[in-house]
Amino acid sequence: MNQLRAISAIARADFLERVRRYGFLLTLLFAVFLGYAAATGRIAVQLGEYRGIYTSAWIGALIAITTTCFISLIGFYIVKSAIDRDRQTGVGQILAATPLSKAAYTLGKSLSNFAVLASMVVILAIAAIFMQIFVGEDPHFDGVALLAPFVLVAVPSMALTAALAVLFETLPVLRGGIGNVAWFFVWSILGIGLPEISGNHHVDPMGLMVVADSMIAGARANIPGYKDSFAFQIADSPVKIVQSFRWQGVAWTWEEILLRILWVGAALAVVLLAALVFDRFDSSRSLAPSWRRPKQPVGELDAIANSSTAETPRQSPATRAPAHLTPLAASGTTHAFGRLVLAELRLAVKGMRWWWYAVAAGLLVAQFAAPLDASRGPILSTAWMWLVLVWSGMGARESRFGTRALLFSSARILPRQLPACWLAGMAIAAVAGAGAGSRLLIARGWHGLVPWLAGAVFLPSLALALGVWSGSGKPFEAVFTALWYAGPMNHTAGIDFTGTASGANANHDALIYFALSGVLLGAAFVGRARQLRSD
Amino acid sequence: MQLTVEKLSKRYGRAVQALRDVDLTLGPGVLGLLGPNGAGKSTLMRILATVTRPSSGRVMWNNSDIARSPDPLRDVLGYLPQDFGVYPNLNALEFLEYLAAVKGITAGAARKRIGELLELVNLTDAAKRPLGGYSGGMRQRVGIAQALLNDPQLLIVDEPTAGLDPEERVRFRNLLSELSGERIVILSTHIVSDVEAVATSIAILAHGQLLAHGAPEALLASVAGRVWEVVMPSAELPTLRQNHLVSSTAHRSDGVHARVVADVAPARDARPLEPSLEDAYLAALATQRNAAAGNAA
Repeated sequence: MNQLRAISAIARADFLERVRRYGFLLTLLFAVFLGYAAATGRIAVQLGEYRGIYTSAWIGALIAITTTCFISLIGFYIVKSAIDRDRQTGVGQILAATPLSKAAYTLGKSLSNFAVLASMVVILAIAAIFMQIFVGEDPHFDGVALLAPFVLVAVPSMALTAALAVLFETLPVLRGGIGNVAWFFVWSILGIGLPEISGNHHVDPMGLMVVADSMIAGARANIPGYKDSFAFQIADSPVKIVQSFRWQGVAWTWEEILLRILWVGAALAVVLLAALVFDRFDSSRSLAPSWRRPKQPVGELDAIANSSTAETPRQSPATRAPAHLTPLAASGTTHAFGRLVLAELRLAVKGMRWWWYAVAAGLLVAQFAAPLDASRGPILSTAWMWLVLVWSGMGARESRFGTRALLFSSARILPRQLPACWLAGMAIAAVAGAGAGSRLLIARGWHGLVPWLAGAVFLPSLALALGVWSGSGKPFEAVFTALWYAGPMNHTAGIDFTGTASGANANHDALIYFALSGVLLGAAFVGRARQLRSD
Repeated sequence: MQLTVEKLSKRYGRAVQALRDVDLTLGPGVLGLLGPNGAGKSTLMRILATVTRPSSGRVMWNNSDIARSPDPLRDVLGYLPQDFGVYPNLNALEFLEYLAAVKGITAGAARKRIGELLELVNLTDAAKRPLGGYSGGMRQRVGIAQALLNDPQLLIVDEPTAGLDPEERVRFRNLLSELSGERIVILSTHIVSDVEAVATSIAILAHGQLLAHGAPEALLASVAGRVWEVVMPSAELPTLRQNHLVSSTAHRSDGVHARVVADVAPARDARPLEPSLEDAYLAALATQRNAAAGNAA
């Protein structure tokens, strides 16, 4: 009973802490935006070139799978901070000294995550009701058909997302940027990969196949010449409507309902697994990889700092020589920008281990050794992807580590530090992509180097803008991973920031990337100026 | 070298008035800024450090408004905030080198200065270890070092001795005394003994208002002849506390020795004492409380 109270107290406090932040409003606005995008046909389910008319069942299913796909992807990044907040604020230390069990803690945090995600589901469910009224393709309102996909498709996938966010936070290797990048791939596998890989549509955590199979069956009966295609996508042109196709929704059997409930059980299992690996805020007990652990415990370091040594015997304040500082001469100050760029460069790569440099060097060598098309395409994009954790600190480091007051009280911080940080990011891109860059220059001259340069300018600009405005590396890690996957990996013209997929239009697209970089850089400056004014 | 604060007010939203019409004029020396929690000390420090802007009023550094042109002050400012962070993957040497570059100190001058500062804050032996492994006291010492990097003319330190052991506290106080001759030092704290040791002038803030500002002697004079020692059984202490301002108590074999601030002797056998700064500080706060209660009534 006490544990139940503790779980609900943990969940409630964490939920209240989140919903009282302005960020939560943005979260809800994102949900409203998704609802709007679906209602205006920008997100659509297409069966070949067609769709059925917007019945309650169709609208419910459309918005529910929109919720499942987008909220499980973006929502993960939104909620993956519940344990970190306790770590940063020190509340974790207080909780660790109470009889609270690890399972109760992880369950409470998972429930809070779920509550945040569920609030977005509720917004979208309400949007679905309004959508049917405003679109008006089918005057018959069927509440059960409209809401069932939310309850049976969206809710279990939100429970799983909430639990996985907690698991990621308890695993030291997934707690930071690596976890943020990894989530994109985990999400891809959970959403689409698992049913395809297993060949079994019941192995479907996100519930997309239940809806797809039912719609495909309906289309076969109603659309002449239909060839089993199903696409859930961002629509760039209006979809043709088959007036005779009135899909009435998934005919939920007990077996299917039970399967969906089983995913909630799987979420519970994930939470318990998280409890097993959770370090209870004791970093010395953590399964942290050796490179993340401090080489010396804090107490030991304190002792070193305060110990007597042969060279510097410790004396009492009375006998110790008075503290003295040599005055700094007027010539001791400068506004040399280069030193600051070097300092930012060192700050960006500091903490990276030897194997990180080894992989970066390997990718650089591969750019020289591989055929030019591979070198400037997948290898270059992977070499830049390898920098994601270096770039994701740009603009966000000051907020994340609490050094804003130290930096913002320094002279000319806006015109010096932000450009220095940006140039350091570009320099890192240039070095990591030097193989492809130099080969493009040799093979095609300056003209051929333009798309490469656009990528090297665009990525740090994106990192800086997102970092300054969010105060976190998470948005860049998520956006860059998605861009890398959608662009260079899937060879999508326009989104491929290396320019390879654009072919003959590479330089034209590069100009767009340069312009975008300018906008992003401007946004970063405006954001930082705002911080300087309002801190 | 002069720092002037004119009718300075700061409001957070509609409900919280953090500072109200504060006036101060400071020259070289150490200003001890005293006040209870929530008095507005840190807000005042942040405004003076150009990290936040006032809602009204202004701060002039050598006749230049720091809200309009903060850089002349920032060039000569050392600031140790109450709460600050460090980059955990950098060591103390690298962190100070980074901030030296941000502050525009040349490489050669920075190297020499950082060496001296690390020695000064007793971190030379731990200088090449990542800051992520430092204790709170060690981080505080890094904070002190960074505040002194650019040999500041205006040094603002907010609760600088928090987390320091007694020996380091004494050492830091001595350092402030040594520095104060040629610059303005503003030391915000609620530890009266820290201020007593080094301050050449004292300001008391409460509820965002400046209650007093002057030399320590002037503050002490305000309670001269008003501090008493009363010895009584411990059972009578609650009654004494109810009726008088008790600044400290000590249990001895003959009963409780209570230090009382009162205009007239609180008991027939009360013995007059030399006033301390703590007595003056508590008396100033009590006067303000009583005035506020009177206004409310």
